[in-house]
Amino acid sequence: MPDEPSGRNLDGDAPVAEAVVETEEATITGDAELERTIGLTGGLAIGIGTMIGAGIFVFPGLAGGEIGTAATASFAVGGVIALLVALPTSELATAMPRSGGGYYFISRGLGTLAGTVIGLSLWLGLVFATAFYLVGLGYYALDALAQVGIAVGVGSGAIVSVIAVLAGVGFTVLNVTGTENAAKLQNGIVALLLSMLVAFLGFGLLEAFGLVAVDTPPGQAANVWGAGPVLSVAALVFTSYLGFAQVATVAGEMKDPGRNLPLAMVGSVVIVTVLYVLTIFVATNIFTRDALLSAGETAMVEVGRALLGPAGALVIIVGGLLATMSSANASILSTSRAIYGVSKDALLPRWASRINLRYGTPHVALGMAGGPVVVLAATGQVQLLAEVASFLHLIMYGLMCVALVAIRRDRPEWYDPDFVVPGGPLIPVVGALASFGLIAFMNRLSILVGLAVIAATAGWYFYYARDVSLKGAL
Amino acid sequence: MTRVLVPIAVLDGESVSPGLISLLGTVDVTVLGYHVLPEQTPPDQARLQFEERATSALEDMGQEFRAAGGAADHRLVFTHNREQTIDRVAGEVDADAFAVPGTTGDVDRLLVSLSGDVDADRVLSFVEALVGDRPIGVTLFLAPGEDARIASDEAGDAGGPESPGPIAPGDAGDAGDAGDPPSARLAAAAERLREAGIDVSTKSGAEGSPFGSLIDAVPGHDAVVLGERAPSFRSFVFGGEGERVAAASVGPVLVVRGRRDDDVDEDDADGTAEGDDE
Repeated sequence: MPDEPSGRNLDGDAPVAEAVVETEEATITGDAELERTIGLTGGLAIGIGTMIGAGIFVFPGLAGGEIGTAATASFAVGGVIALLVALPTSELATAMPRSGGGYYFISRGLGTLAGTVIGLSLWLGLVFATAFYLVGLGYYALDALAQVGIAVGVGSGAIVSVIAVLAGVGFTVLNVTGTENAAKLQNGIVALLLSMLVAFLGFGLLEAFGLVAVDTPPGQAANVWGAGPVLSVAALVFTSYLGFAQVATVAGEMKDPGRNLPLAMVGSVVIVTVLYVLTIFVATNIFTRDALLSAGETAMVEVGRALLGPAGALVIIVGGLLATMSSANASILSTSRAIYGVSKDALLPRWASRINLRYGTPHVALGMAGGPVVVLAATGQVQLLAEVASFLHLIMYGLMCVALVAIRRDRPEWYDPDFVVPGGPLIPVVGALASFGLIAFMNRLSILVGLAVIAATAGWYFYYARDVSLKGAL
Repeated sequence: MTRVLVPIAVLDGESVSPGLISLLGTVDVTVLGYHVLPEQTPPDQARLQFEERATSALEDMGQEFRAAGGAADHRLVFTHNREQTIDRVAGEVDADAFAVPGTTGDVDRLLVSLSGDVDADRVLSFVEALVGDRPIGVTLFLAPGEDARIASDEAGDAGGPESPGPIAPGDAGDAGDAGDPPSARLAAAAERLREAGIDVSTKSGAEGSPFGSLIDAVPGHDAVVLGERAPSFRSFVFGGEGERVAAASVGPVLVVRGRRDDDVDEDDADGTAEGDDE
């Protein structure tokens, strides 16, 4: 088994590789050091900040509208699958705390073809996810407009697309030119959101158990408890669980990665799962299925209004705007790291990871993230965008589990994870089966789009990087 | 041997003024070339692109420092957080002080501040080593209203076994007497430096804030030496005192690091690890 990547791509570039020493505080290469600056709080903020926007503020209306209170089971299923993948990911990440996350593990564990497919799919999956968050942001912005008295009657879909596109352009430009430390802002937003949610859910639960009474609108539609519908909704809402893998993309910058990476990944999954299940419970307890369905993406605003009056609606609107913004922003950040990881290994042209001299930002990678995001956001297709994002991530999650089994079997000399998943191959195998299995419950169109993306990335491998060898290299 | 860490924003074209290079000729120097990246940029990505350029600049600087007399090496760090990097590297190379580079010509006179909750013994030892036998004068400075604190702090550790220099332990003990009025405390410190053969004068701050009175005292001096203080709300909001003094005084500032107990140091590191993210 080779210890170093080898081979050249179509442009004649070889993967960049050198021996490095990882300490808790820095990565030490031949002549330079890379400071690790993200602590546990930062890692949790990336994970929770990416996930919470979708699960709390966009999906309750869609998921609850389809199957009512049974959606709590869908979110629980999603959370369990995410946890089954987060554990193997943690082991891989503590053994290879490098930028690039899932791509890096799969290319080292399963070889260049799988690596290229996943590296490029991770990029495109994040693009789909970001577009989805932005469309969610558009819906909340529309509601905010309505709240201040600007009612938009006809063509509201078009307005949502316009807002999503403008926000996409705005985020990309901010990321290229901004040198302010937005991470601190992100941490603050996440803390604010969590405290808002805890208060809101606390009150909602009091209501649910009859301790506080509010008027709930009448409705007849019953909940749909059934394995098929529950799993199909789980496949839809799985987009709410993509964030923990984003933590892995910044693995190279985490302090004390052996401790903080597993805690941040597993912790963020557990925290958001609990919040999601409670939110759906509260929402479906107040509104029946048909009422949620008619309220659509911003059903939570109506839930807030029913619970706490206009103030409740306002809190949810502000929260929804903040949460979808933080999700979109965190995803754009991860995208640029995903592109860098692939480009460093010569699977994309080297110029893709160029850094802008004036701002010190990777403008090409950010453009490769923001450009397609804007195009996709213009479609305004919430469900399709969410499912394709989930599809591409689920493929990666399944393969990460497979990669863990493969790497454990091959045992390269450098493989020495700080965190080991207990139970032998059981958890990764179940995780892989669950990830691939969930795909079967998706919409046919989403699966087709996802497969087309995978085929295109495989085609790119055979065209561009067939001679690059990465398997087993550190 | 005394070691000074000189952090330089190497890719932003920051350089070390000739005056600071010759001032540091008596001590060992570690040039810390750092490059602060926005969080959008993985540090490794910047390294691939900028490492060569940065390394060659650092090698040139190392040569200049060696030409001035002391030993010099360099480190190159790509980071999102400048303070964290300086703190870590200063600890790893066991630096006695770090520099905030500023512009100056030849240094004839240093302003040494003993204000605040600082380890005066370490500051004085550092100044002795820095000046050596060169004709560089020192003005000792104490801000108004700061004397009580420094006195009570000093009583604990003055005259410790670590204090080098030609001074007898008894003198150091005098310097640490808790009951001394400020003028006596300055005088004791001045006496210690005088015995080391340094031209010393003293200056007590007039009315005003400690920071403002220190800046008022700067004219006539080419560089400032401070003791490091514990991080405070003020330093959190406005940046470290060294940076603020450097910005206000234009000239270079040398910040003498506090004594590091190994246990305390680790606790500190953990504390910042959590705190920095907020």
